[in-house]
Amino acid sequence: MSDALIARLRQAVIDAEPDDALALVRELLAADVAPTLILDGGLAKAMLILGEMWKSGEVFLPEVMAAAAVFTICNEEIEPVLLASADHKVGAKVLLATVKGDMHDLGKNMVAAMLKMAGFDVIDLGTDVSSAAIIEAVIRETPAVVGLSALLTTTMPEQRSVINALVAAGLRDSVKVLVGGAPATQEWADAIGADAYGQHAPDAVRAVKELVGVLD
Amino acid sequence: MGPQPTVRAPRTLGRRLAYNLLDATEIEATHQATLDVLEHTGVTVRSARILTLLAATDAIVDLERRLVKFPPSMVEAAIAVAPSEYLLAAREPAFDMFLDRSRGYYCLEGGPSDIVDLASGKVRSPTSQDLIDATRLADSLNEISFLWPSVALSDVPPADQAAHQTYLQLANSTKHVVAMTTYNSRDARVVLELGAAVAGSAAALKARPVVSSFVCSISPLTWDGPPLESALEFAAAGVPCGVVCMPVSTAGAPTTLAGHVVIANAELLSGITILQTLYPGTPTYYCPFSAEMDLHSGNMDGAWGPGPVLFNLVMSQLGLRYGLPMSIGTNGTGAKTQDWQAGAQHALTLMGTLACGNVDLIASTGGIDNSRVFSLEQVLLDCELWDIAATLLDGIPFTEEYLAVSVINELGPGQHYLAHKHTRNHMRENWRARFFQSQTWQEWEDLGRPDPRDAARKRAREVITTYVPEPLPDDVDREMRSIIDRYTTAGGSA
Repeated sequence: MSDALIARLRQAVIDAEPDDALALVRELLAADVAPTLILDGGLAKAMLILGEMWKSGEVFLPEVMAAAAVFTICNEEIEPVLLASADHKVGAKVLLATVKGDMHDLGKNMVAAMLKMAGFDVIDLGTDVSSAAIIEAVIRETPAVVGLSALLTTTMPEQRSVINALVAAGLRDSVKVLVGGAPATQEWADAIGADAYGQHAPDAVRAVKELVGVLD
Repeated sequence: MGPQPTVRAPRTLGRRLAYNLLDATEIEATHQATLDVLEHTGVTVRSARILTLLAATDAIVDLERRLVKFPPSMVEAAIAVAPSEYLLAAREPAFDMFLDRSRGYYCLEGGPSDIVDLASGKVRSPTSQDLIDATRLADSLNEISFLWPSVALSDVPPADQAAHQTYLQLANSTKHVVAMTTYNSRDARVVLELGAAVAGSAAALKARPVVSSFVCSISPLTWDGPPLESALEFAAAGVPCGVVCMPVSTAGAPTTLAGHVVIANAELLSGITILQTLYPGTPTYYCPFSAEMDLHSGNMDGAWGPGPVLFNLVMSQLGLRYGLPMSIGTNGTGAKTQDWQAGAQHALTLMGTLACGNVDLIASTGGIDNSRVFSLEQVLLDCELWDIAATLLDGIPFTEEYLAVSVINELGPGQHYLAHKHTRNHMRENWRARFFQSQTWQEWEDLGRPDPRDAARKRAREVITTYVPEPLPDDVDREMRSIIDRYTTAGGSA
């Protein structure tokens, strides 16, 4: 019975139906199905399937974003049970921020959703985030990767400032830095000493996976 | 290469076609939908100062949530009090732009963070010299009436961009300058001071604004504080400041064209209402820019198909309904070179623009890769298209002389018109290409198979090495340099 329920859960995530998915998660938990099985066989598998559908052009980014939101809701339901069990594993931590002076966060939000979908633990610091606040968060959260977003040509140099601040704080070697945003390029990333550049949200996920050594 | 015009005179668009995509009922429904959003949802304003000012008006202000809602009457009153026509002046009065929907003016691209190097053809970071070159090229071209800062300057700190860009453009062209990078009050004040130095005084700048600016919303429905505060500086000085939005459909606006239009209209009317409520009668304009999202990657869609043209057609109908001076975007392209895609997209969007009725300000020329990259060759190629567009709207004389019946009757059947004086009298009035090619195949082979880009690149090189714009008077130049020194040493310089 649980196999059929998990199959229905996968479909509900793929179809981005939050109510259906949440009801199925609760039903599975009530039936004492292992939370890792619900997560791996249901939620994560659904995102994997959706990822393949996205690559083939069968679904588009908005459908992936909607499914990622359902994934997050279901994951929150499972998490307490999962934490209570011994065998949960957590993906690498990624810290995201739109740099100081910049209020644009659409691109960063897309990156956050797609990283969550790929199993990463995402901490989003929001927009207009100062170097100091990013340094503080790096110390607090010890992420594997810091992703810095900027849309304006006038705020893009702030990505360099954050990297310089990481160096000054002696943290540069402890964390990889990813940059992105409309005016950013690979050349820019190289010039400011970033570790990677994401051309768009899916490419940012590719870059983060490479940085932390996760194979597709 | 074809002819270069010898007479310096603005090449503007005359009477436009007006293709009314929506009927009057649909336009009214769109307006009402916008009022609904402004009344019931409102916009975020991230400025404590402006929120406090608005709290004393008819606006419903939630200081804690930084949310402003606008009663419909307030929006209608703002539209009514906004000036329907005014002057954007140029250092050279022949290039003054009077925004009254009678002429369409073309603009140099602004903002790209990269430039195509003329010598190597490679993309690189632009410097101040690149802005000087682009400005001089634009100054030499009759098709271009006003200037955005064509590139971001990699050799100038971000906080000083507006000051340096404005100075370099005013010093290297006699045309109107739009300082589009005024992101805070300090930027606005330095631009206004530079403008006053050129005009003679702050009062003279108000009478003849040789510089202006614009402020852009963040979609959906958000105004960042410092840029909006910079708009108030312009309003206080009586210098025009446009209101711009750039919603990307599917991401920052609904995926439907109609919903995209409602977001754009709500953002523009909210900005105009804020400006007109706080500074009644201040000159502004209605400027909807847009883009679509690439459904696969989430990036801005570089395909620039019919969507942006349809968006412009609807938005221009709304802007004309409001009776406001208006600016729209043309020449969207995701092309990486000056190729078929760039040419086709620039030509098709420009033709769409001609059908938008009498829009005043038309942006812009020289951008590729979704305006991320600036190209001097593209400016020249775009101006060729603009010249064709302008010619289409010039009208054609059909008088006795032009009907040429006497010439036809005189020559009769079987003769030719080559040697007739009527031909010599009028043939130079016909449009001739500068960059479109018409050589024979053999000539083309012998020349090494050049494409129009090669001719444009050669011409761009000629212009930037030989063209000398009318310089600023020495004392004005000195004053502007001291203004910049004062601002860039007074803090804020990174």
